[in-house]
Amino acid sequence: MKNMLEHTGIEPGRLHFSWISSAESTKFVDVVTKITDEVKALDPANKKYVKTEPKVD
Amino acid sequence: MKLIKIDQQSWAAGIEKVKSDYRVFGPVKEKNDHEFKLLEQNEMPDVNCQNTRLSPKSIIYPQSQVMFTYSLDESKDDCRIMKEVENVKSPMAIIGVRPCDALAFPIVRRNFDSPEYQDTYWIKAYEATTFVGLACNSACGTCFCTSAGTGPFGEEGLDVLMIADGDDLYAKSITAKGESFIQAAGWTTEAESAVDSKIDELKTAAESSINSSVATDKIKNKTILELYDAPFWEEEAFACINCGTCTYVCPTCWCFDVQDETHGKSGIRMRNWDSCMFPLFTHHASGHNPRNVKYERLRQRFMHKLKYYVDKYDNGIQCVGCGRCIRLCPVNIDIRKICYKMNSFDAESCVCEATSS
Amino acid sequence: MTEYTDKIKEIAKRVLTEGKVEMVIGFREGSVPMMNQPHYATSAESVDELVWDCNCGLNLANYITDKKGNIGIIAKGCDSRNIVTHVIENKIKRDQLYIIGVPCTGMIDHQKINAMFDQEILTVEESGDKITITGNGFSKTMSKQELLTENCAVCTHRNPIEYDELAGDLVEEQKDVDPYASVTKVESMSADEKWNYFEDLLSPCIRCYACRNACPLCYCPTCFVDESRPQWVGKSQDPTDVRTFHLLRAYHCAGRCTDCGACERVCPMGIKIREFTKKLNKDCLELYGWEAGLSLDERPPLDTFKTDDPDEFIK
Repeated sequence: MKNMLEHTGIEPGRLHFSWISSAESTKFVDVVTKITDEVKALDPANKKYVKTEPKVD
Repeated sequence: MKLIKIDQQSWAAGIEKVKSDYRVFGPVKEKNDHEFKLLEQNEMPDVNCQNTRLSPKSIIYPQSQVMFTYSLDESKDDCRIMKEVENVKSPMAIIGVRPCDALAFPIVRRNFDSPEYQDTYWIKAYEATTFVGLACNSACGTCFCTSAGTGPFGEEGLDVLMIADGDDLYAKSITAKGESFIQAAGWTTEAESAVDSKIDELKTAAESSINSSVATDKIKNKTILELYDAPFWEEEAFACINCGTCTYVCPTCWCFDVQDETHGKSGIRMRNWDSCMFPLFTHHASGHNPRNVKYERLRQRFMHKLKYYVDKYDNGIQCVGCGRCIRLCPVNIDIRKICYKMNSFDAESCVCEATSS
Repeated sequence: MTEYTDKIKEIAKRVLTEGKVEMVIGFREGSVPMMNQPHYATSAESVDELVWDCNCGLNLANYITDKKGNIGIIAKGCDSRNIVTHVIENKIKRDQLYIIGVPCTGMIDHQKINAMFDQEILTVEESGDKITITGNGFSKTMSKQELLTENCAVCTHRNPIEYDELAGDLVEEQKDVDPYASVTKVESMSADEKWNYFEDLLSPCIRCYACRNACPLCYCPTCFVDESRPQWVGKSQDPTDVRTFHLLRAYHCAGRCTDCGACERVCPMGIKIREFTKKLNKDCLELYGWEAGLSLDERPPLDTFKTDDPDEFIK
């Protein structure tokens, strides 16, 4: 899934997978902090993935 | 009507000139095939194009078209009120429309501009457009326009008909709109009278190059139920994959589906082409689908074009013989064959004559 | 190819007469060049319509989904792999089928051939490994290998995998072909280049859904693009919605696609749709050593869990 999204032009680093048990609260915080930092570092103005109003004639 | 001669130089100059008065569309080759496109500066329509892959219908009737906008913001007075989008069309001209595609516009008009209903979006675009046709000097194997209400030099639906003879073009204005277009292009050279007989020759040659036809004379006298219950539909539909190719490439298919899309507190209501080949086309809110299996959907397409339309409007079939559905159907379902089966079907003996080769 | 046609007719007549099957699914000659039509025979007499040549590129497994009764089906390599996939996915039972296997030397690309000539093509004839294309005032003979569809040119499973009887001798499989050359090319692009590549690829799409409907894998009772409650994807020509359709359809084919090329063959706009599915095929091969439809006894990688499944992407 990650490979395919990246293959079609989504930057690496936008999709993350992690396995966190409900007992691992610190791991959860660490992972989420890391993900937010990484995604924020990507071009924030890059809105091409987000559809607002449909672009039609 | 007088005939105007256009040589290559004045052709190019005229097209550039009209671009200041019209948005000009014409066939342009992209990748492997021709499509109608809005012509940029110095871009010329390709008059050597046999015909475009898609018909020019989308210029008047886009595949996706916004009709209304709305707001869901409760603090605003116009909350939940549908507001029509600005619907003013500047003059357009479509150059190089083949006579088959031209006839499709008056056919579609019976649906969009009837005494009962006037579709403002279609009508405004149609009225703003000048249709500049190009006669066909030779036909494809899948062309059958001469048995579908027009011909390679057919004029119905056109404002100007152009005829190509070698490097020269001749233009004949058919309507006042056409006259204005020719004036705007600055084409004034009258053709010599000897050209008339030359054009007659081209026309005869073009007509004789069409070697494919459909017979529809007997369909009208059969009852709807006779044809509806005919035994050949299931067999003919076996290969059908129920895609929308035939309906989307057809110049006379007009069905659409209305969709709302909301983003945040604002939204649009638009229409998109729909296809009677899709199960969703007749899927009721209750969950019931009156055309639940594929042969019923295939039957609908052909019954509409060749029977229901014929009975309702008494003005020929809803098909112009362009052959696109035959050329592009992924599984080779051929309207000529289905038409033959419908026309020759005899409900009493319950047989169709053997298909002619 | 007449030998194949004769043998197919002989087998089809026999299995119909013996009552082994109620119908035999194959192809009949179409009304325009290079377009054969999927068709079926239910009696020894109607068998005579069946043909086999290099224009049988559609995938006939698409016509047996959820069918009842006993069916004869003509299957080249890719069709047979999709039949295997159908059996694994419970869309038909193996013992309902009598598979007439056809060792295949590839199907020709009608879109490519049409694009090669400005004038209309009137006849296309196959003779051995040569194809003769004739139109008004021209005639050209070319090698069949040059005219194959892209998927046939890189096919490594030309012989049927599963069959009850063969209509011809097994053929030699192609070696030294790189089925994933175009995937590798895209893989080397930057993210923006990739995005633009697929944007351009899909720009002609008219959403006719021919690709989906010609695909034997796409048998969902209601496709996600047709769902209205909830509506997952918009219905307009909006590029995001068009891309969503193609991307999700490809995902649904992951580990199942046999690269039969039906999606590309039927596209009226000539879109190279296999660019999506081929990437997933490549990943399945590299990650799980898996190619779809090669065995009735093995579950596909995406519906099994193994402790040694690759998991580097999980942090």
